[in-house]
Amino acid sequence: MKPMEIPTFQPRLRVLNREQALAIHTAALEILEKTGFRMEHRGALEMLAAAGCQISGDRVRLPAYLVEEALRSAPRQIALYDQKGNKTMPLVNGNPFYGTGSDATFTLDLETGQRRRVVLKDAANFAKLVDGLENMAFAMSMANPEDVPVEDIYVYVFAEMVKNTNKPIVFIADSGRDIAKIYDIACLVVGGEEELQKKPFVLNYSEAISPLRFPENVMEKLIFCAQRRIPICLPSGCNAGGGAPVTLAGALALGIAENLVGLVVHQLAGKGSPFLFGPNVSVLDMKSTVVSYGCPEWSLAQAALADMRDEIYGLPIWAFAGASDAKVMDAQAGAEAMFSIINAMLSRSNLIHDVGFLEYGSTSSLEMVTMADELVAMSRFFAAGIPVNEETLALEVIERVASGGSGSIFLMDDHTFEHFMEAQFLPKLLDRSRYDSWEEAGAMDLYKRCNIEAKRILSEHHVEPKPDEVLKGIDQILQGR
Amino acid sequence: MSDFKALTESVIKGDIKTALAETQSALDAGSNARDILDNGLIAAMDEVSERFTKGLIFVPQMLRSAKTMQQCMKLLEPLFQEGDVTSKGKVLIGTVKGDLHDIGKNLVSMMMEGAGFTITDLGVDVPPEKFVQKAQEVEPDIVAMSALLSTTMPAMPQTIEALQKAGIRDKVKVMIGGAPVTEKYAQEIEADSYASDAGSAVSKAKKLLGVS
Repeated sequence: MKPMEIPTFQPRLRVLNREQALAIHTAALEILEKTGFRMEHRGALEMLAAAGCQISGDRVRLPAYLVEEALRSAPRQIALYDQKGNKTMPLVNGNPFYGTGSDATFTLDLETGQRRRVVLKDAANFAKLVDGLENMAFAMSMANPEDVPVEDIYVYVFAEMVKNTNKPIVFIADSGRDIAKIYDIACLVVGGEEELQKKPFVLNYSEAISPLRFPENVMEKLIFCAQRRIPICLPSGCNAGGGAPVTLAGALALGIAENLVGLVVHQLAGKGSPFLFGPNVSVLDMKSTVVSYGCPEWSLAQAALADMRDEIYGLPIWAFAGASDAKVMDAQAGAEAMFSIINAMLSRSNLIHDVGFLEYGSTSSLEMVTMADELVAMSRFFAAGIPVNEETLALEVIERVASGGSGSIFLMDDHTFEHFMEAQFLPKLLDRSRYDSWEEAGAMDLYKRCNIEAKRILSEHHVEPKPDEVLKGIDQILQGR
Repeated sequence: MSDFKALTESVIKGDIKTALAETQSALDAGSNARDILDNGLIAAMDEVSERFTKGLIFVPQMLRSAKTMQQCMKLLEPLFQEGDVTSKGKVLIGTVKGDLHDIGKNLVSMMMEGAGFTITDLGVDVPPEKFVQKAQEVEPDIVAMSALLSTTMPAMPQTIEALQKAGIRDKVKVMIGGAPVTEKYAQEIEADSYASDAGSAVSKAKKLLGVS
């Protein structure tokens, strides 16, 4: 009989015990039952009232059983497809998928290195770069361009992303008006509403306002997606010390309460529609008052949320990583990016956005995305753990080399040749060359190497273009016809 | 001039109870309200903002000092004499139409108030006509607008235009701020000043009005 295989332990971070997770959950339910929230969308208000919420003045109080019902009807398996219909992002079993972020006001210019205002062409470049990077699973716009009509800003960046990547897209919209246009473009790409429902390549990212405020335009988008079975997430910006209490437990409870309101309305509007769970719990920096993208708290809160997913909610979660508060891609940027990337990996977050942001999310950087791609690969390697079996223990190889004559080295052994590709992490951008060769190659730092690699991908990577009739249809939608 | 060392220290520390007691005892000892304000409270807040600028204290500490000062002001206010200038200037502030975000705007309000400005806060989702109507009523020195969403930024030039049409654009300085707002944008829409955060909003406001 063959000996049993030794299972591989894949390192997994836990930061909450069951008691902590349950206490935060019950605190969230108490917020909804006792404090209540402000719902500014009439339709949502009517649905909530009919379902059993108490409404007095502008406050809605939501009984816990509605949360339980919504958690039961929301699907635990959400999958995003690429634009050719392949299931590339099964958001189940703690699978982590990384991608870029939304809405940067500035970008680091690839040619000059200078921070400048974002234009539409930048959205195209980021989408194309994501398309060409192995470890980036989805695209967000990274751009809030100044050269398009502001009322259709999200429609323009969505169109630009569709033209420049075939990967899944996480998109932003302003209200029910522009999300309808974006939806029309998405339908065009896959050949109709039914196709899009069956194999969604888009996920909407909307935000409620902390504390406990649900504006009309945000709810329009939520209901729009629920009715059409377009996956959506609704994390509020309940940043500790800003939109929420300064202590992480309270910020998590508030953010989860806000998310549960979103989930309840969503399931009332479209029972069984996909809803990605989770708030954004970072901190408001106590000196600058920026919302930090490099702080350890956001990573810690996110790991806590992953624990709560496993203990309680069962729904795939929204997360962030690979971003920084640094203004340039320096050592701080690298350190902060890696901190959140490895944390998101080890805590098994699911949909992980904001990769490539500098300056607390105000500046996007193609170089930063390129670097993060390699850091994700490094983290994935780490999280895979150490397979222990006959082949990897390699006792025969040890015997062979140790008892071999002079000149017998592991490097020469067939075992090395056969296994080194998967046994080792082979970096592309992180430099391990000897000093002299590094100097000869131009003594370049990581920023410079990422710059060159980003430029290479943008000039060499081929994105399979959309058919002419799709492009024509997109133009017509943009022109409002 | 009296010595308000204990008062200034308690304001700097954000010790409301002691600051109120010190204010009261200064009044009881015969100091006039104007003197307590200038050489006690405002001197303390100047020190607080200097420490903040140098990175020696954090925002919650500064806000606590501002709160302490405001509490003390309540004791002084009934005692000011007519003609006493007790404000650095009047500021009308709000988040623009279509935008419901107010954390940044509230922070600016509190810090300006702490620095000695008189604030009228219109809240969020403030339409241009509301800015105009209130500006005609309170005659502010500064109209300050905030926006977090790029989609609501166009309400800023619309508000400026509304001030123009009402014939009061020249009577006020316009300040703008918020995450997507830039210096360049401020120039394009012909606002008088842009501030990137609450701390610089205070110093820019002082500069606009030529006060210290």
